Amino acid sequence: MGTGTAVAPRAIDEPAVVRWILIVTALCFLGLFLFVPLAAIFVQALEKGIGVYLTSLRETDALSAIRLTLLTAAIAVPLNLVFGVAAAWAIAKFEFVGKSVLITLIDLPFAVSPVISGLIYVLLFGLQGWLGPWLAAHDIKIIFAVPGIVLATIFVTFPFIARELIPLMQAQGREDEQAARVLGASGWQMFFRVTLPNIKWGLLYGVILCNARAMGEFGAVSVVSGHIRGLTNTMPLHVEILYNEYNFVAAFAVASLLAMLALVTLAAKSAVEWRVARQLRAAQSAGPEEGRKS
Amino acid sequence: MSIEVRKITKTFGSFVALNDVSLHVASGELVALLGPSGSGKTTLLRIIAGLEEADAGSGAILFQDEDVAGVDVRDRRVGFVFQHYALFKHMTVSENVAFGLRVRPRRVRPSRVAIREKVQQLLKLVQLDFLADRYPSQLSGGQRQRVALARALAVEPKVLLLDEPFGALDAKVRQELRRWLRRLHDEIHVTSVFVTHDQDEALELADRVVVMNHGKVEQIGSPDEVFHEPASEFVMNFLGHVNVFHGRLEAGRLHFSDLTIDAPPHQVGGSGAVRVFVRPHDWMVETQAKGVPSLKATVCQINAAGPQARLRLITEYGEWIDVDMSHERYQELSLYTGAAVFLVPRDIKLFFDGSNGFAAYQAAREQMQREARHLSPAGP
Repeated sequence: MGTGTAVAPRAIDEPAVVRWILIVTALCFLGLFLFVPLAAIFVQALEKGIGVYLTSLRETDALSAIRLTLLTAAIAVPLNLVFGVAAAWAIAKFEFVGKSVLITLIDLPFAVSPVISGLIYVLLFGLQGWLGPWLAAHDIKIIFAVPGIVLATIFVTFPFIARELIPLMQAQGREDEQAARVLGASGWQMFFRVTLPNIKWGLLYGVILCNARAMGEFGAVSVVSGHIRGLTNTMPLHVEILYNEYNFVAAFAVASLLAMLALVTLAAKSAVEWRVARQLRAAQSAGPEEGRKS
Repeated sequence: MSIEVRKITKTFGSFVALNDVSLHVASGELVALLGPSGSGKTTLLRIIAGLEEADAGSGAILFQDEDVAGVDVRDRRVGFVFQHYALFKHMTVSENVAFGLRVRPRRVRPSRVAIREKVQQLLKLVQLDFLADRYPSQLSGGQRQRVALARALAVEPKVLLLDEPFGALDAKVRQELRRWLRRLHDEIHVTSVFVTHDQDEALELADRVVVMNHGKVEQIGSPDEVFHEPASEFVMNFLGHVNVFHGRLEAGRLHFSDLTIDAPPHQVGGSGAVRVFVRPHDWMVETQAKGVPSLKATVCQINAAGPQARLRLITEYGEWIDVDMSHERYQELSLYTGAAVFLVPRDIKLFFDGSNGFAAYQAAREQMQREARHLSPAGP
C-alpha cells in the first residue's frame, strides 16, 4: 500500500548491494523465527494424517478447552470494550486531577509479568487470600474456577482498547461533540451518532488485538486456573498439558487452532489498517475546487 | 433576540481571559468581536453559547432579558459555527444539516418529509443544494464553511455565533464569503456575533465592532467610529497601520519631532507627554515648504505596486515615517529615492502617556458633551 512505485531520490538511495543485503537479512530473520515455527506447528499436527488431527480436536477435553477459551473472550472483550471507551473518553475529552496517574495505571498490565497478574488474584481471592475466607464461607469459587480465569484475562487485556483509542480521541478533539451538543443532541445521541462513528475503526482494531490476547493468554491464566482438565483448561493450557504428556499430535493440533486464530487476526488487522489508510487518503486528496489555506 | 453580556469574568488558572466584560447586542444586529489572539474574544463567544462557563458569581448572560445561566448548551437555541467547521465526517452534507432536527425528542421532531424539505431549503440558501449527497471530505474549504452555516441555521437559532468564520480560508474565498454572509444576514436577520482577528473583515461586515484586548473591551462602536475615532492607543494601532511619535502637549500646542502645531480641536485640554499617531494616508506631502509648519524628511523607499503608492521616509532625527498617497499625486510630485519632502499631518490622534482604555475615553467624551450642551444656546 502507500505510494506504490515511488522511487527514492538518489541522494538518499543506497547501492543495490546494500539494499539486497538488508532485504535478505530481514527475510532470513523472519523465516527463521516466524515462518519456520509456524509451518512446524502444522507439519507436526498433520504428521499422522488428517484423521488423527481431527480426532484429537474432537476429544472431550479439547472441546471443553475451546469452549472455555471462547467463553472467556466473550466476557473479557466486551467488558474491556466498555472500559476502554470510557477511559479513553475521560482522558481525551476532560481535564481532571489524576489523569496522568490513570494513564499510567492503564499501562500497568503491559508492564507487569502475566504471572504476577495471576498471583494478584490468588492473593486476593485464594483460600489464604484477603477475601478467601469470606468467599469460602459463601461458597463462591473464584480461584481454580472459571471466574478467576475471566478476571485474569480481563486484567491482562485491558490496555489494548484504551491504548488504541486514547491517541485517536485526543487527535480528534472535542469540537465534533460540542457541535452535536449545540445542535441539541443528548449525551447518548452525541456518543452513538458522532463519537462512535469517528472512532469505529480504531475501536475495531483494539477489539481484534484484545481478542487475540484474550484467547492466547497463558501466564496469568495458568496461575489461577489449577489446570483441571475439562473444567478450567483454556486452549493454551491444554496445549501445554498435552505436550507434557508427549501427546505431540494432539498438542500441535490444538496449537494449530491458535496459530490460525493468529493468522485471522493478522488478516483482519491488515484489512482494518488498509481501510483506515484509505479513508485518510480520501480525506486528504478530496479535490478542493476552491482554495484552502494549507 | 438581543444578547446582554453583563460583567463577565473568566479565568483559566492564573490567566485572566475575560476581565469584567459587558456588552449589548441588539436584536437582528451583526456584531464583530475583534482582537488579537489571546484577547478573550473566542472565550466570550463560547460563554455566550454555553460551551464555557464564566467564573462563579461574575455576572450574567441574558438572552432577551432572560438569564441563561442555568440553561444547558443544548437548550439555548444558539447556532454555532466552529472555526474548523466540525462537520461530521461520516455524514453527507444533507445528513449534517439534518442532524439538529433528527436528534430532537420525538414529540417535537418534524416529520421525515418536513426535515428533507427544510434541508433542501437551507442548502439552496447557502447555494449548495447540488452537493447534498457529498461527504465533507469531498468539499472545498468555502463549501464546508457554508455547510456548517446551514447546519447551524437548521435548528432555527435565536442567536448565531461564528468563531473565526473565514479564518481557515484563503484571501479570495474569504472576500467572497464575507459579502455573501452580509447579504445572508440582511436576508434572515438573525442576531449574530462573530469573532475575528482581521480588522478588514470586522469593518466590512459588522454593524458594530467590539475591539478587545487582554480580556477587556477597548471600544464598542460602528466601523466608522472605531476607525476614525479610536478610543485608545490599542484601537488606533490595531485598526490599520500608524506612525507613532513621542511628543508634548502644552497650552493647546503640540510639539513632536521638529514640528509645533495647534493641538487637534477635541484635544486642547491638559498638558504633558503624549503619543502622537498619524495614519500613512493622513500626510500631505509637498516638495517645497509652503509656509505652514511642516516636517522635513527624505524618501528612502518607494513601492508603487498596489492600489496606492507607499513611501518610507526618514526625518532628520532618524524617525521612520510611512506615507501612502494616490498614484496621481505620486506622479505629480515626481518623487525619487533621496528626494527631500515636507510633510503636514492632515489628521492627528493623541493619547497621554499612561492614559489608556475605554473608560478614560468615555469620561472625556461625556465631559465634552456636557460642555457643548452648556455652551450651546439651544441646550437645556
